[in-house]
Amino acid sequence: MNETVTDPVDHRLISEFKAGSMEAMEKIVERYEDRIFTFGLKMCGHLQDAEDIAQETFLNAFKYLKDFREETKLKNWLFRIAATACIRKRRKKKCEPDQEISLESFVPQNGDDVKYEIPDWSDDPSDNMLRAELKDVIDDAIQSLSHKYRLVFNLRDIEGFSTQETADILNISTQSVKTQLHRARLFLREKISTSYKEGFVQ
Amino acid sequence: MREDCKKDFKRLSEYLDGELDPDVCREIEQHFRDCPECRECVESMRKTIQLCKEAAMEEIPADARERLISMLRECFGRTHTE
Repeated sequence: MNETVTDPVDHRLISEFKAGSMEAMEKIVERYEDRIFTFGLKMCGHLQDAEDIAQETFLNAFKYLKDFREETKLKNWLFRIAATACIRKRRKKKCEPDQEISLESFVPQNGDDVKYEIPDWSDDPSDNMLRAELKDVIDDAIQSLSHKYRLVFNLRDIEGFSTQETADILNISTQSVKTQLHRARLFLREKISTSYKEGFVQ
Repeated sequence: MREDCKKDFKRLSEYLDGELDPDVCREIEQHFRDCPECRECVESMRKTIQLCKEAAMEEIPADARERLISMLRECFGRTHTE
């Protein structure tokens, strides 16, 4: 199957880059740099690591762009490279193995009066301080997720990739994506609600 | 937790993502209408996802962007113009 699925603007920029245009290269970077950087930051938790991920992703992307057959979207391809970079970085740091999240631990037991308090995100600039505190709570909760759950959550819920796209990017089954996403969401709900109740955000 | 609550609890994410058959969705929605605990459960999940999404986006800092672009120019400028 040789059907081109790349966005038309990306398709044009890729052709221009292959023909030698540096301007096209910079336009491609401009289109995706914030997303790749956000992904790196959410995955690694540090600005320097996020910058490394962005550099490695674009460096490899342009190095191999001549082989990119546009059977997938450029965005998906970039995230595949970025996800691999995050996995590699984690291996280098010799982190602890992933902690499994058990579904059973989130099933409310009979008699439990479970009420989750999830705050709303305010778009009002006058709420800057409140937003900063809440953002810390959210970032901290996402960072507490084990790596494999964090990968799936970021790709599905933050980046908006479909279950199938996420499975393709990570080279895992769609069932694994669904299972890990559900557990990641339950974990985050619990963590954010607990932090909120404990008064990090008032 | 009742058995039907437990069953829907396990497929909550698939329900929220629109990945279940319409018949199953109708069955779940009927259950939510009758069960305030599960209704609260699905709403708090929806809010969690929404909140994380809204608070997520970052911008690459200007100096990091500059370093990225100059590194790429350095690597590809020469190979491309030769």
